[in-house]
Amino acid sequence: MPSEKQETLTNRIRRLRFDNGEMTQQALAERVGVTRQTIIALEAGKYVPSLLLAFRLAAAFRVRVEEVFQYDGNSPS
Amino acid sequence: MSRMQKFAWFNLAVIALALLVVFSLVPLLGFKAMGGFGFLGLLGFGPAFFRTKPGQVLMDERDLLIQARSWVFAYAVFWVIFVLAAVVLSALVYGQDGSVPVTIVQISTFWAVTLVYALASIAILVQYAGGASDAK
Repeated sequence: MPSEKQETLTNRIRRLRFDNGEMTQQALAERVGVTRQTIIALEAGKYVPSLLLAFRLAAAFRVRVEEVFQYDGNSPS
Repeated sequence: MSRMQKFAWFNLAVIALALLVVFSLVPLLGFKAMGGFGFLGLLGFGPAFFRTKPGQVLMDERDLLIQARSWVFAYAVFWVIFVLAAVVLSALVYGQDGSVPVTIVQISTFWAVTLVYALASIAILVQYAGGASDAK
């Protein structure tokens, strides 16, 4: 049974874009097949992507998915 | 502005136009002014916002999520109102053994379309403004 603790998923998309030659939001959006609005929502923490999109983002930056997204919440005991 | 947002604003504009025509003609034409709801037919042009263009992403998973939630919300509210109107209001207004005039049924259909499209469009705009927080 999950506890009441708040679960959060943060991401480093903005930082990774900067580290990849200041890639624009539009360029990243085209690379992963979403709209620029979705990249904006992701960076603002207003949207948690599907697993498939998370892996696509990681692949776009050539890093592991854990380097893009950080989970903070309940861990299985 | 995404295609979904344009679609939502278009729907609201058409609904506003139809309501404006209907209510401005009521003093002149009475019940016949309800014919102004015919402007709702313009809603049929809504899908034109989703014409695909080569190499361009029009809708992604977030858009589809917002779209699905909005229509589910709109139809859920519509269903509650429909049941209330059909079961409770009709009996209260026309009596248990009464009959509902055909014109009332026809006008109710236009009001139902207006309600569902307005609710869905508002829900779309609200979610783009700050909602749709997850992909569950």
